[in-house]
Amino acid sequence: MIRGKVAIVGIGQTEFVKASPKSAWELAMEAVLAALADAGVDPAEVDGMCRYTPPFEPVSEPMLVRGLGIRELRFFSEAPLGGEALGAVMAHGASAIVSGQASVVVAYRAMSQSVGGRFGRADGRPGGADGGTHIVVPEEENRSFSWPYGLMSPGQLFALWATRYMHVHRLSEEDLARALGTVALQQRRYANNNPCALMRDRRLDWETYLGARVISWPLRLFDLCLENDGACAVVLTGTERARALRADPVYLLAATQTLAPYREPMGIYTEDLLELFTPAAAARLWQGAGVGPGDVSVAELYDATSFMTMKSLEGYGFAAEGQGWKYLIEEGIGPDAPLPVNTHGGHLSEGYIHGMNGLTEAVRQLRGTACNQVPDASVALVGAPSGSAVVLAR
Amino acid sequence: MAIIPGMTELTRPYWAAAGEHRLVTQHCRGCDRIWHPPLPRCPHCHATELDWRPAGGEGTVYSYTVVEHATHVAVADQVPYVVAIVELAEGPRIVANIRGCAPADVSVGMPVRVVFEQVTDDVAIPQFVPAEGDGG
Ligand SMILES: [Zn+2]
Repeated sequence: MIRGKVAIVGIGQTEFVKASPKSAWELAMEAVLAALADAGVDPAEVDGMCRYTPPFEPVSEPMLVRGLGIRELRFFSEAPLGGEALGAVMAHGASAIVSGQASVVVAYRAMSQSVGGRFGRADGRPGGADGGTHIVVPEEENRSFSWPYGLMSPGQLFALWATRYMHVHRLSEEDLARALGTVALQQRRYANNNPCALMRDRRLDWETYLGARVISWPLRLFDLCLENDGACAVVLTGTERARALRADPVYLLAATQTLAPYREPMGIYTEDLLELFTPAAAARLWQGAGVGPGDVSVAELYDATSFMTMKSLEGYGFAAEGQGWKYLIEEGIGPDAPLPVNTHGGHLSEGYIHGMNGLTEAVRQLRGTACNQVPDASVALVGAPSGSAVVLAR
Repeated sequence: MAIIPGMTELTRPYWAAAGEHRLVTQHCRGCDRIWHPPLPRCPHCHATELDWRPAGGEGTVYSYTVVEHATHVAVADQVPYVVAIVELAEGPRIVANIRGCAPADVSVGMPVRVVFEQVTDDVAIPQFVPAEGDGG
């Protein structure tokens, strides 16, 4: 149990831009140094590091250790499965601190999609050439059973979920568009009030949303996340040290990972496609946190697409199974909703830092320093679509 | 430019069968279950005595999407195309395109049957078309 034993004492980020002239290495350094400065911790004190697995995360531990002049790491770990690493790096870091393996842990994510390849494109990813005429898809995670059919990118997979959702829960296309558009429009409104957001100056109305081109039916352009460069970092330490460092540490109540057969992110062979993670995983999260969905002031839910925001509301227990779409249409996720969601604008409108910018936003909300501050926010959920999550409290 | 599946020891029998216009799934001789995609052992009883069982080629659309924006140059001239998860009558699900009808005519639950599409001289892949009559 990590509840109350570990706190986030520093957050840092770079600017989020379409294409940064800086390397991923420099972006990571900038974010980590900002987080350490925010924490009031000297880089030499860092003895633990958690990151997303390569090739997602291009910046290695050795690059940062030598780049920052860290004396010695005695704990470092990597978390797989893309955005699911969001809760996992917190779980790893907190576990290291609670078990005495580390005292100050840095977690980071640096994105350089302008150089390293856009996540929404398949071209840039490995696929051998066969005399220049054919593309041979190497077998890896069943890719050789999907790529030959043109099923190659996350947006297409999320669309398969959305179609199934419409069918099972008897939504018309218009119902789905109203629900997902509610997410896209509200997140954009949050971003319009967030100076760090890529989309801060770009308004989005219903006409534009509905009129946008379809990328992979039933998902439209504005249902899909941004592609950009930037980095985020957080600093974790034990509660005692945290209180000595600052008056407003943000405590980890729970941090979880989960993996069941075919329930890896974008796993499509699972028995019930719409069950993104086991109900037991959500139960474990809330039990570990000692709070329930009703106690949450604000949620930052991983949104590679607007559909994931909707489905996560169900998975984490804010809306009943199959009712997330109605919940969105009736309650919304705005400042006056029962649960404000993705208050920074999320991946759809602030920027895509693989979930880490949701984590930094949750910390700002609990410190009371967010752009779209939820009054008196006391508990925050940061959740990935396949069930890796963090519950934080001030 | 065709996109063809890379083959491993584990997956080669599946594609070899497809090359002969046969749809197969992995089958456990221990507990008689089938599944897809292939695994090193039976996930139920962990037996290593596995073989390949012919599937009838009939199924229904479990879900689908109409890809209108290509994310790879190799499929740029194919949009819009339908990617579906097809649930075989025998149970396992496989990914395929739905051919033989307009994207707008595809629906979840629609009966489909397998056809084989030659993507190169040597490689054929299972695809699906609407089943004739009232449900195949
Ligand atoms: Zn068996």
